[in-house]
Amino acid sequence: MDLKQILKKNKAPFVKEWFRATIDTYPSQSAKILGKDVNRFDNPVGAATRETIEEVFNLILEDFNQEMLEKALDPVIRIRAVQAFSASEAVSFVFALKVIGENILDDSLIREFDKIVDKIALASFNKLMKCKEEIFLLKATESKRRIHRAFERAGLVAELTEEDLLGSKKS
Amino acid sequence: MSDEIKPDELLDKIDYGPRSGSGPESESDNWMDTTASVQIRPGMYCYAAKAESVETLSLPNARPWNPLEDDWKLPDNWQEILHQGIKERLEKFRTFKVFMDICVRCGACADKCHFFLGTGDPKNMPVLRAELLRSVYRNDFTTAGKILQKIPGGQKLNGARPLTLDVLKEWWYYFFQCTECRRCSVFCPYGIDTAEITIMGRELLNLIGLNIDWIATPVSNCFQTGNHLGIQPHAFKDMLDFFVEDIEDVTGVDCTPQINKKGADILFITPSGDVFADPGTYTCEGYMILFKYLKDKYGLDVTWSTYASEGGNFGFFTSHETMKRLNAKMYAEAKRLGVKWIMGGECGHMWRVINQYMDTMNGPADFLEEPVNPITGTKFENAKSTKMVHITEFTADLIKHGKLELDKSRNGNRIMTFHDSCNPARGMGLLDEPRYIIENCCDEFYEMPPNTIRELTFCCGSGAGLNAGENIELRMAGGLPRANAVKYVHEKFGVNTLGTICAIDRAALPTLCEYWVPEVEVYGIHELVGNALIMPGEKKRTEDLRFEPLPGVEAEEEEDE
Repeated sequence: MDLKQILKKNKAPFVKEWFRATIDTYPSQSAKILGKDVNRFDNPVGAATRETIEEVFNLILEDFNQEMLEKALDPVIRIRAVQAFSASEAVSFVFALKVIGENILDDSLIREFDKIVDKIALASFNKLMKCKEEIFLLKATESKRRIHRAFERAGLVAELTEEDLLGSKKS
Repeated sequence: MSDEIKPDELLDKIDYGPRSGSGPESESDNWMDTTASVQIRPGMYCYAAKAESVETLSLPNARPWNPLEDDWKLPDNWQEILHQGIKERLEKFRTFKVFMDICVRCGACADKCHFFLGTGDPKNMPVLRAELLRSVYRNDFTTAGKILQKIPGGQKLNGARPLTLDVLKEWWYYFFQCTECRRCSVFCPYGIDTAEITIMGRELLNLIGLNIDWIATPVSNCFQTGNHLGIQPHAFKDMLDFFVEDIEDVTGVDCTPQINKKGADILFITPSGDVFADPGTYTCEGYMILFKYLKDKYGLDVTWSTYASEGGNFGFFTSHETMKRLNAKMYAEAKRLGVKWIMGGECGHMWRVINQYMDTMNGPADFLEEPVNPITGTKFENAKSTKMVHITEFTADLIKHGKLELDKSRNGNRIMTFHDSCNPARGMGLLDEPRYIIENCCDEFYEMPPNTIRELTFCCGSGAGLNAGENIELRMAGGLPRANAVKYVHEKFGVNTLGTICAIDRAALPTLCEYWVPEVEVYGIHELVGNALIMPGEKKRTEDLRFEPLPGVEAEEEEDE
């Protein structure tokens, strides 16, 4: 059997352990609650984490590219980008896969599997940076959009327009 | 949580560090150990209050300070001030005393807070946020605490700790990570209102000058100039005049409002965000259209005020006394103008202040009449004492009696859902009126899941003075449970518009949506009314209040060509 077939066969333990390892990056008392499988609106972080991990795992069983990985990782990275994680902590959950892989896979397959994990990690860094950039942009433009624009419409201030200041970026 | 953490564990075994992590955090096995947890992180906290803003209201210890520096420039006797402050409040506020004593730490509230669910920080569990204060209460104000202090290990057994500088810093950090939304209180079997604990916590912090600037400066502006943004009366009028022009462009009708009119029937007060901040400005135009319609059709006599130019009250997030000082102008202006009763605009915390505090704080308003809708004859029984009616109750009543002509098709491109703002929903039970208005102004309306609306609504994550720019990560994390439900109805039903009746929501939710579900726009309810209302003498409308083409108009124009 090749790597993908073995991963497919072992999907359940992989997904379960990867989810647990990801939730365990939160403080232990929080992890107890966020790890519960309850109504997705009562536990959005747990639900998004569970779903994303399954989706990413399904993706690596098929042919995938970086763009597809980034899209699949979005819900979890988007959340971790606004939580109290450093950049390395925010994406650290991906590397838990290496440990899980070592426990489940034959040594002969580890190297190949690690390459996949590396791709997921790189996609995660990309996504994290994009989310952080979105946050910085929101931070920079929010008060201007909220108050300055109303004043501008009313003709109470006269200077560069909002569009000029934002350049080509649609606000 | 009750099946997860036993009371002794709550006191003893909460590990602040990541379970899988390493380093100093995970070595801490005790939640009361502040060394690991008081890490004031940029993105999560709001800037310190400016000295001049604190001075305006003669509040204590005005000075420049920075939460990231070790020295917070506190008075030498800060512990004594706080001790005395707690003592006074325990005697004065029965709720505070009861809430300090009766929590059995069942944990029902633990996973109900949007900040906990979004940040994953255990100290944002309402029970633990309250424990920050309770632990000091137990140490200093209970007999058991005084006895156990003398026994080795006794403090820990009692869940008690002395008020140290680290504990104080932790208070500051976490009491400004609570929006006083009261969702947790809905689940508390004892009815403990954690918002009131935060209110007390912030009031105590203000005794030694530890406010945040996003609260202190609006409070100072409001006290000095009349509204949170510090806009002077002439600019307030300029903005309304500007709305008149815009409305005339869209409808062809002159909606010039009455301002400071003595002897008017009704005084209208709305949060200044409606006048000065998008997209609240469109809601403001909706009010103006409604009042013009009612004046022409039924002779309704409404006046605005440049003195009472702020419905919101950030004093509520500072101290009871500050709230009272800012609120006083509502009744004062009603008295000066000689109106019959007061109507209030779409706002959140403004209504908690009005509904739960104003009457006893600055009333009785015995110079006003019990509010009756002069057009329908409906008595607003719930406003009998405060003499102040929420505009959605008023408008819903008009629609119910067939007094408004509405053309739903003008909002035909709005696929709606409704976000219950915390204070009107949980603080005054205003749940159905806004929905009734939406259903009469729009064709498509879909509710978010039941555990995220009405009394169980999730906060926007930016209320209670936390809608600043510098704490945007906290706001995005805190707003996640709300955005998660919006995203669900967006994906399932194609919802593109989030309706709301709160000025902070109108300011905060567009940013929240842009991050989590960018295809959804935020509308006030009276913006929808303003679009749908068919005014006497209006021209054929082709645009909505945002100057976007009305549904079907573009297609018609193409056909004409």
